[in-house]
Amino acid sequence: MPLSDDDHSGVAFRARAQPASDRSPDPLLAVDEVSKWWPGRPEPTLDGLDLELEAGDVASVSGRNGAGKTTLLRIIGGLVAPDSGSVQIAGIALGTDRRAYQREIGLLTPGDRGLYARVSVQRNLDLWARLALMQAAERDEAMRYCYARFELEELGDIRVDRLSMGQRQRVRLAMAFLHAPRLVLLDEPATSLDAPALELLRGAVDDLVSRGGACLAVAPEGAETGLGRGAHFTLRQGRLQAT
Amino acid sequence: MIEVRPQLAAAAGIFRRDMTVYFSYRGRFVTQYVGMLFTLAVFYYISRLVNVGTFQSPDAYFSYAAVGIIILQVLQSTLDIPMAVRQELVAGTFERMAVSPFGPIASILSLFLFPMALAVVSMLVTILLTTVVFGVDLSWPTVPAAIPVALMGASALGAIALLFAAMVVRFKQAPGTAYVLAAISLVAGFYFPPSLLPWWLEWASQVQPFTPTVDLLRHLLVGQSLRYSAWEDVGKLVGFTAVLVPIGVGVLLVAIDRGRRQGTLTEY
Repeated sequence: MPLSDDDHSGVAFRARAQPASDRSPDPLLAVDEVSKWWPGRPEPTLDGLDLELEAGDVASVSGRNGAGKTTLLRIIGGLVAPDSGSVQIAGIALGTDRRAYQREIGLLTPGDRGLYARVSVQRNLDLWARLALMQAAERDEAMRYCYARFELEELGDIRVDRLSMGQRQRVRLAMAFLHAPRLVLLDEPATSLDAPALELLRGAVDDLVSRGGACLAVAPEGAETGLGRGAHFTLRQGRLQAT
Repeated sequence: MIEVRPQLAAAAGIFRRDMTVYFSYRGRFVTQYVGMLFTLAVFYYISRLVNVGTFQSPDAYFSYAAVGIIILQVLQSTLDIPMAVRQELVAGTFERMAVSPFGPIASILSLFLFPMALAVVSMLVTILLTTVVFGVDLSWPTVPAAIPVALMGASALGAIALLFAAMVVRFKQAPGTAYVLAAISLVAGFYFPPSLLPWWLEWASQVQPFTPTVDLLRHLLVGQSLRYSAWEDVGKLVGFTAVLVPIGVGVLLVAIDRGRRQGTLTEY
């Protein structure tokens, strides 16, 4: 049977013994028996990891440094191929229809990278919307949403290298949500965010969930993802454990 | 089915990004041409020493070398791409390209757009400098035709740039781009006729796309007679480009796939 947290968010950490009849036929995210072994490591970083997220799910994963949290997000995000196992998003398998698969994903990478320093906030967002292959009208609407949701209106014309770290993180978050992906993957989203900015993040996750999306966030053990809701897992010895 | 407009909008976005970054460094555009002016001046005074049978006058040699300089800057623009890919890796923006629906291959190909457009502008400015400052007599009616020829030559070298970009994706470095340009300068006749090369090196001027590029450009810009027919040179250039570019893209695809499998796509 599925394991779920106290707020009954419905996140299903699939147990091996779960009868097939209990599973959703097409979960939003299905990570099945995924393993990844980095060279030079005595043990696999991910070892037959399973995870399912349904539409509306929010899940946080914590773990020690090097436990494999970022590896997990990078595999789901399509940046790293698993050694074995499979990943599907809305029924699209990783490695098949790349464009359709990537359209469903918004990925916040860790740290403060991924922005063009000498380019304005508006241009950074616009470029990402274009790389997401959004139509012109969709881009305008998405930009307006992100400006409002992450309070970026006053920062639009400012170059990224002139922003504070917290402001940059808001821009990076906006880029993860910009193209209205159904699955948002957040690697340490709370980095550099103050309390009001964390509220903005939670609001964006609420919007995502309300339109049938799901969110998976990771943070080191002892730190918060900042989402303040959903199921919690610990990544240990290459597998997820409900906490 | 792939929709074309969003793809073009994405490529245009990368073009605009590169242009914004280029012009964010004030004075870069002007200083670039000051440097070019000095280079042309050096060759102008060298040409005053030239009095050999191959060239009828010092001006003939200067025209010859000036066209070499012009095509060199167009070709140089494509060889900057591997370094641009490295900068994307270091900045973490390559990850964004890799997870985007537009994709890493299309993104890297789009990186060529602004440098090549800038190279055409540079080419025109240099042509203007050679005419106004150094008095080179251009054959103006055929100057516009030089632009597609130069771009075709740049595309052929772009295939080599793609191989270096693949090397950057795979190994995070690509030593040797400067040597490639130096070797091309040597065998393609940028500054002197390939006929001056020793026999064991002269064959190299025939087995790459840059000799026909330079020959065609000299023909179009300064009216120099061609060694082969124009169509033969165009055929060679198109043929080389048609073969080399798919090879470059293929190698880049393999490098990205290997990077995904080995988990090195995010390394820098």
